[in-house]
Amino acid sequence: MAQEARAEFTELLAARGVSRRDFLKYCGSVAALLGLSEMYAPQIASAIAAGSKLQPALWMAHGLCTGCTESMAQVGKPDVPTIVLDLLSVNYWETVMAAAGDQAEANVKATVDAGGFVLIIEGSVMTGFDGNAFRVAGRTGLAELEEIAPKALAVIAVGSCAVDGGWVAGNPNPAGATGVSAYLQLKNIKTPVINLPTCPVNPEWVVAILVDVLLEGKLADGTILNALDEKGRPKFIYGSTIHDNCPRRGHFENGEFVKFGSPTQAADEAAGWCLYQMGCKGPQTYTNCPLVRWNRKLSWCVESGSPCIGCGNADPRKADGSGNWVDADTPFLSRAANVRLPFIGGVQPSTIGAAVGGVAAVGLVVHGIASAAKGRVKGVPTETQKVYDAKKRGGDK
Amino acid sequence: MNGKVTDAWASGGLYRGMETVLVGRQPTDAFYIAQRICGVCPISHGHASTMGSEAALGIKIPNNARIIRNIIEGAETLHSHILWFYTLTALDYVDVVSALSANIADTYALAAAAGTSTADFGAIQKRLAGFVAGGQLSIFTNGYWGHPAMKLPAELNLIAVAHYLEALEMQAEAAQIIAIMGGKFPHFMTSLPGGSVWIPTEERLADIEFRWQNVSNWIMNTMIPDTLAIAPFYLDAAGYGKGVGNYLSWGVFDAPDFDPKKRTLPRGALIGGLNPSDPDPAKVKEYIDHSWYNSGDGLNPAQGETKAAFDAYSTDAKYSWVKAPRYDEKPMEVGPLSRMLVAYVAGNAKVKGLVDSTLATLSKAAGATLTPAVLMSLLGRVAARNLEAAYVAGEMGTWIGELVAAVKSGDSSYFVEATTDSGEGAGLWEAPRGALGHWVSVKGGKIDRYQVITPSTWDMSPRDAKGVRGPLEEALVGAPIADVTKPLEALRIVHSFDP
Repeated sequence: MAQEARAEFTELLAARGVSRRDFLKYCGSVAALLGLSEMYAPQIASAIAAGSKLQPALWMAHGLCTGCTESMAQVGKPDVPTIVLDLLSVNYWETVMAAAGDQAEANVKATVDAGGFVLIIEGSVMTGFDGNAFRVAGRTGLAELEEIAPKALAVIAVGSCAVDGGWVAGNPNPAGATGVSAYLQLKNIKTPVINLPTCPVNPEWVVAILVDVLLEGKLADGTILNALDEKGRPKFIYGSTIHDNCPRRGHFENGEFVKFGSPTQAADEAAGWCLYQMGCKGPQTYTNCPLVRWNRKLSWCVESGSPCIGCGNADPRKADGSGNWVDADTPFLSRAANVRLPFIGGVQPSTIGAAVGGVAAVGLVVHGIASAAKGRVKGVPTETQKVYDAKKRGGDK
Repeated sequence: MNGKVTDAWASGGLYRGMETVLVGRQPTDAFYIAQRICGVCPISHGHASTMGSEAALGIKIPNNARIIRNIIEGAETLHSHILWFYTLTALDYVDVVSALSANIADTYALAAAAGTSTADFGAIQKRLAGFVAGGQLSIFTNGYWGHPAMKLPAELNLIAVAHYLEALEMQAEAAQIIAIMGGKFPHFMTSLPGGSVWIPTEERLADIEFRWQNVSNWIMNTMIPDTLAIAPFYLDAAGYGKGVGNYLSWGVFDAPDFDPKKRTLPRGALIGGLNPSDPDPAKVKEYIDHSWYNSGDGLNPAQGETKAAFDAYSTDAKYSWVKAPRYDEKPMEVGPLSRMLVAYVAGNAKVKGLVDSTLATLSKAAGATLTPAVLMSLLGRVAARNLEAAYVAGEMGTWIGELVAAVKSGDSSYFVEATTDSGEGAGLWEAPRGALGHWVSVKGGKIDRYQVITPSTWDMSPRDAKGVRGPLEEALVGAPIADVTKPLEALRIVHSFDP
């Protein structure tokens, strides 16, 4: 890094009232977020310092519920003020920016004209009614996206809606929702897209990716993009199933399941038994929720007593939105029948624990479920009798 | 260059089609999906959906589940009101750039005089100065800084900026109560039709109580004193932004007997001022004369339709995806102001105390006696939301106590199953931003009709069949505008409805 840039950055930090020590501490928490050892903190510090200016970003709303913005507001370290004051210059973010109307639109234009910005998209791309299902600033959201996206360094699609349409694309997809990457492909816009599904997005992942983008050259040299899977998701987040890392996993192995309507339902839940029988989609959902958790690592869905509903099961490769998690996973509380395990064949869950011990069961992959779902009303074929449970606890009522 | 707003149109720009997506799915699916209408108030949508399904299927939930839902709902209210006041609307009144010229000693003196909490004001000013000097203003770029309608002294601006940053922490702490009981926020997991699948433990109850205590203290020691310190500079806001003057609340926070009239914030309608009546859901109708739908004009939501059909944007014809709901053929304002007025008129002693003491403070500042009628204004709408936060924070303590007692008594009932698979019902409830209804019809275990009227549908309603404006549209008309290129006063009114 050039000497003057370093001096400029030190000045900038001082001007912001941030000591060198605080800055390194902060870089340490970023390292942890990225799954790196704190040893990397100086390296991260030097990479961020090289920038010396805040990374410009636009956070644009499409067919959204504002839940991903809300989720970002729950991030722990680095906290929101750090992100929007010290890390990024977020020049448009509907819910939190001070500007409105013409002034806000001017911010977008200035940022796009200057280039070199990261584009964050929240919400589904709304193609219905010639794009009029979503209108903003007197035009369609599609027109806005087509104008801005080609000029962005990269797009980060936050939340399942931006990834593949999300629930908004749920059958019969009344407003023509789809994902960002599918739409950009359709329009031959080559800007790379990083997909971060779940509903809402986990803010820790967004921060990890943003910092990754800030690290000098990691976007340009392909480090980030090469670490994406076939659905455009960072592998370090979406590489294993919830079931793989679930703290209730031991009870699955033991065949100890919480069951709706059981006289011991509350006691079994208090004992932390497995929610598989309640319909848990943990075995077919690839996210690291059990490890990263939510709301500053305080809890997560399965810990609260609800089965996972598979909100990260997005498939952005289906341009009509039909890969959405709602169609893949409903009815949420029914068990999918004929769960097929690779190299084992069709077995019922009670025997899985016996057949494959803990580590071997890492391969528990049930893609068959999602692909079997053709149209939600017919839905996933579900068990009429919960046979595995019958074995253990004397049958369903 | 002073002018006034002469007319206004509120256009909803987004149609997603939730009601249609839910048809054919199960009531339990609807709980998880319908809350995703709104990422700011998913708890309220989840509860209204679940209550609609429970009403349809004749389920009466256990007492423990009632208390749990009240606490989760209360936590969302605190979270939402803090986020709204400081993050969404404060910068319409607080000039961030002006805070740079605050004298630090005077800032501490002002905070002491106002009875609001202090922070390291010097360090915050320095951080802000560095930030402004950097030339990239991020989320503050192009705000209405230096606008003639910004009236706070620099020192009060600095106090508010300090608390703006603290508020980001406090809203997250309130949301953590939901995360403990519902898995995460936004979008929670546990209030399924039938009760609650979250089971309290002593440890978790302590985690909840600790956070409730912190958030409550902050509301009482920071948010309320800030409100009372800022309001005297904006007393002119009592003179505009009134709107339609009709108020509706379905009521929220259930009593042990589930009677909506006995809810902690009760059900009620006020038409043409402070004239109370008990609202009849059958009198609700939705009109589509100015909305992009082609069928189902004037239907009650129990028979409602959602047939979207965009043609063109025209304020003379159709200009919004939002339908126009009317109660007894009248537009109704919904939200904290409606709830507080309904509770005040119903004689809720704690609400009356909060409102009357606030009016006394403002009367002193105004040099005139202000009556509750003055609340029917922009000023009242802002103040009511913050006073409601104080009230709900207090009530949450009671519910947490109830749940602790129930756990100690050994009551282990949290969930019951449906005994039928068909029926019709409505979940009429309140989101932080106002009256919310989910009308659910179930046949053979599957939803065959689903209709929702959200608070923003009421407040951001376009004109109806008779051309009568919706609450926001009406509130905007007559508002003073100091600078037409920077219509700050209009923005304040829009934000006051918490869209």
